[in-house]
Amino acid sequence: MTDRIPAGFHPFVIPFLVGMGFVLLYCLYGFIRIMCQLSHKDRRKFFLSFLNPKILWKDIKDIFLNCLIHVKLWKRNKLLGFMHSSIAFGWFMLIVLGHLEVICFLPGRLRTFYYPIFFNFFVAEDNATIGGQVFFFLMDFFLALVLCGIILAIIKRVHSLIFGMRRTTRLSLLDRVGLYSLWAIFPLRLLAEGFTAHISGGSFLTIPLNWIARAFLGNELNMVPTWWAYSIALCVFMCVLPFTRYMHIPAEMLLIPMRNAGLKIKHARKGYAKVMVYSCPSCGVCIDACPMSVKKANTRDTTVYLNRQIRRGNEKRIEEISDKCLLCGKCSELCQIGIEAPKIRIAQRARRKYGLNQNYSNISVGPLAEKAFGHNVEAKPGKVLYFAGCMTQLTPRISQAMESVLQKAGVEYSYMDKDGGLCCGRPMLMAGRPDQARQIIDKNTGIIRSSGCDTLLLSCPICYKIFKEKYHLEGIRVVHHSEFIKELVDQRRLSVRFGKDVIVYHDPCELGRGSGIYEQPRELLAALGTLVEAEKTGKESICCGGSLGSLTLGFAQREDLTKNALRNLTVNLPSKIATACPLCLASFSRYSDRPVEDIAEIVDQRSTKVD
Amino acid sequence: MLLELKIMKDSIVIIGGGIAGLEAAKQLLTLGYTPIIVEKSDHLGGHVAGWNRLFPDMAPAQEIVAKMIKDVEGANIFLETEIISSNKLGNTYIVNLSNGVTIRTKAILIATGFELFDAHKKEEYGYGIYNQVMTNQDLEKWFNTSVDSRIGGKEIRKIGFVHCVGSRDVKAGNSQCSKVCCVTAIKQAIEMKQEFPDAEIYCFYMDLRLFGKKYEDFYINAQKDYGIHFIRGRVSEVSENIEGRLLVKAEDTLSGKPLKVTLDLLVLMAGMVCNQDGSKMASMLRLETDSDGFLRSKDNVCNIVESNRHGIFYAGACTGTKTVPETISEARAAALMIHNYINE
Amino acid sequence: MAMNFGFKLCPSSALNLDKIDTSLYDKLVEMEPDARICMACGSCSATCTASQFSGMSVRKVLLDIQRGKEKEAAAMLRNCMLCGKCTMVCPRGINTRHLILSLCRIYDNKEEQK
Repeated sequence: MTDRIPAGFHPFVIPFLVGMGFVLLYCLYGFIRIMCQLSHKDRRKFFLSFLNPKILWKDIKDIFLNCLIHVKLWKRNKLLGFMHSSIAFGWFMLIVLGHLEVICFLPGRLRTFYYPIFFNFFVAEDNATIGGQVFFFLMDFFLALVLCGIILAIIKRVHSLIFGMRRTTRLSLLDRVGLYSLWAIFPLRLLAEGFTAHISGGSFLTIPLNWIARAFLGNELNMVPTWWAYSIALCVFMCVLPFTRYMHIPAEMLLIPMRNAGLKIKHARKGYAKVMVYSCPSCGVCIDACPMSVKKANTRDTTVYLNRQIRRGNEKRIEEISDKCLLCGKCSELCQIGIEAPKIRIAQRARRKYGLNQNYSNISVGPLAEKAFGHNVEAKPGKVLYFAGCMTQLTPRISQAMESVLQKAGVEYSYMDKDGGLCCGRPMLMAGRPDQARQIIDKNTGIIRSSGCDTLLLSCPICYKIFKEKYHLEGIRVVHHSEFIKELVDQRRLSVRFGKDVIVYHDPCELGRGSGIYEQPRELLAALGTLVEAEKTGKESICCGGSLGSLTLGFAQREDLTKNALRNLTVNLPSKIATACPLCLASFSRYSDRPVEDIAEIVDQRSTKVD
Repeated sequence: MLLELKIMKDSIVIIGGGIAGLEAAKQLLTLGYTPIIVEKSDHLGGHVAGWNRLFPDMAPAQEIVAKMIKDVEGANIFLETEIISSNKLGNTYIVNLSNGVTIRTKAILIATGFELFDAHKKEEYGYGIYNQVMTNQDLEKWFNTSVDSRIGGKEIRKIGFVHCVGSRDVKAGNSQCSKVCCVTAIKQAIEMKQEFPDAEIYCFYMDLRLFGKKYEDFYINAQKDYGIHFIRGRVSEVSENIEGRLLVKAEDTLSGKPLKVTLDLLVLMAGMVCNQDGSKMASMLRLETDSDGFLRSKDNVCNIVESNRHGIFYAGACTGTKTVPETISEARAAALMIHNYINE
Repeated sequence: MAMNFGFKLCPSSALNLDKIDTSLYDKLVEMEPDARICMACGSCSATCTASQFSGMSVRKVLLDIQRGKEKEAAAMLRNCMLCGKCTMVCPRGINTRHLILSLCRIYDNKEEQK
């Protein structure tokens, strides 16, 4: 393997160098800006994380598995996984092997940036070396792999349903330019390497191509133009990259170490959130995931478009999209990158300025606690505090069933909000007003502390999530009634009997995706009747449409969402729909053609006191 | 099967044996036709048959219904029968019934009426959950039978009536006014006061809509002679206290203050909603429905009893909420329209 | 030269619709057109979590700002917890939560704007 061109330079590499230089400078600039946007503490945390070998190893592992191999995508959709990993990993290997070739054969040229990319143009094969053959084969192999990926990508663009995607993202103009240049890079590389294969050597792809080309064209005039074209395609791709979805490639490599360092979203448009937004590859998985997408007009309000609008700085649309979302968390659960879209939306809501700010300093804890528990409350181990929550007050059948179950099981309990109470603060938090939510949290904490109970029992998953995550209730166990009743049954404090109901369980967003409780309600229901599953279930369950997360969705606009969720629930013909959230219960009852009941009600109907 | 198949001619099919169907049948009989009443339930008289006394003159409902039934003795009546299918053949309709009878008729009168709103759907009122909550229909039944566990066997000191349950409520799927509940509530409040002279009675209303003849007199009597309290505010929550009495929350919008009251009985004035079976049949006969879910008349001013299809007519609450006298007038109008149509 | 007739003219507490400033209401209607369809049934007030503390009532807030009584409305709104019960019970399906948030947003109070 020797230098074919003594100067080791040809003008066609200039476009590539321009593109490469641009993209590197842009990324460096972006990196510095992001770092400046982080708080001092976060920045320190981020850089220190690289010194921790455990985190560093996780960083490398995550980048390799997610950015190159796309493991998460493989798990979800094999075809999509293959498509993405073949392009990403194949391209990565082409670059790595290109460098290895230079190192092995012409180490002196390593400092030129372009040699590993255009190696085949600059070299002439001498007496074939074994090593060369291996390289040639591998290069062709990975090129073929990438080309497979590109073919699949083209098919997917034309007919996304083959890939199990009902809807795919509508690309912007620059995204299209990026996409087409990306598609062009590899066929051009194949052609270019094919034309030079009789000089530089090649393998199973490039050699036959070379024969065909020379047989038909018979001259070498097309050699240099194709290398030019290859270089220009690279240049175009890299020049538009910062302004297209392909920015996700460098951004995700930053996102992974930031996440592993334990950073949290503090500002919707800066620092960590910004990296997250730029990491969005616009794959569109969130479009099908979004419960609002049942109406076509709403697809434009899904996470992928939020990310796009944030990148464009379209304030009006950013606000619209952020306010409309139900915060059900399904997009984030299915996102391959792990973009925490609900948190970005809440952070965006939190940026809003209000002329009037809520303040609860006039509310004093003492009288409220006294109203609920009376004087001289004694702390007692095992005593339960039941907090029904605002929504449960509008669905009295849940609280009534709960009281009945507690009495049957002989549980000693106090009822915190029988005669009205405070809100838990979660709706305030979802509206993006953490300071106000904090005030409510402090008031409630005071009331709970003066109850003398060591277990806080909740019927509403919305409450449950915030009590679990944001309250400081050390020494008090926070439990949702589906878990609690399950324990009562397991401890044989309550005996339940099996009935002939065919029950489907709806996972409330805040209990399932929000708090990770999927199994306990199902195990409990399985003892009460025949349990069937919905079409989309567990992590992929569909929001009932009643969520308090959405600020702007009106009553009429939610109807289709609820009906769609009901359709999903009834595919296996249950006789009864069970849920564990008062809001889901209210939403579903409105349109359901069969009974909708809370898990507590079903237990109450089918349980007796243990003597 | 073929042997059983009876074909009747020169007959007119009336779907629904409530007061609209009965009155139309009577008029058609007088005009010389053979009406065939098809009723899905096991009795004639519809909702009115279950009522006790009717405003404004407190006429006994059952006597009225009994007389109406007597008046249609010459008609063919199929109880517990439904329409299975129907198709048009030239100028006539072939109607197949669930009892195996097939009828060929020139005109069909739809008198399917309304359905009472299912009060269970208003979760927050606790119907079916608390043993002190009943509907207007339950109360009429109690007036007739004196049997109801929600009233018997306990002291009744305070009674509440909630107007507009399942009407004027988009959440309940019916944004229209049911028209008769205001006066029904006042009538029932007066009757309850007569039954329980020492009880305090509260009517929770949004607007009082007392449009009919002598309705306002009811209102005045309720205030003057019976001391019934009218509270302008919609009940929003109902809960049970430790003594097993109901705690009802509303806003007294006139004083602008939240209001709480403990009651022994709460009566929900369930509104009129469109009849689901009627809607099913409407789609079978390719009839249009209006935005409120009821059947759509040719026009809502001059042609309420005509449908968008030739030979199909409406009477009564299938096209919207109606009072008893309105229904009866419409039934007569429909009979006349059918007569004109056949003799065209 | 004031003459004493034995009685004084008090500033009238009557509402003069000719003089009332409804700009806040007009702005609100632009953001949440459903503000117009309230029929003052009082369901929201009766169910309100905050009503026991500040007399909060969406119905009253709406009426107050239509009558130019912005301060009274503000005092009520301060204790709202956005729990959403009012939205749940509204028979007209008004998105009261969004209405409240919109209103808090357009309140012209420079000191409070952080």
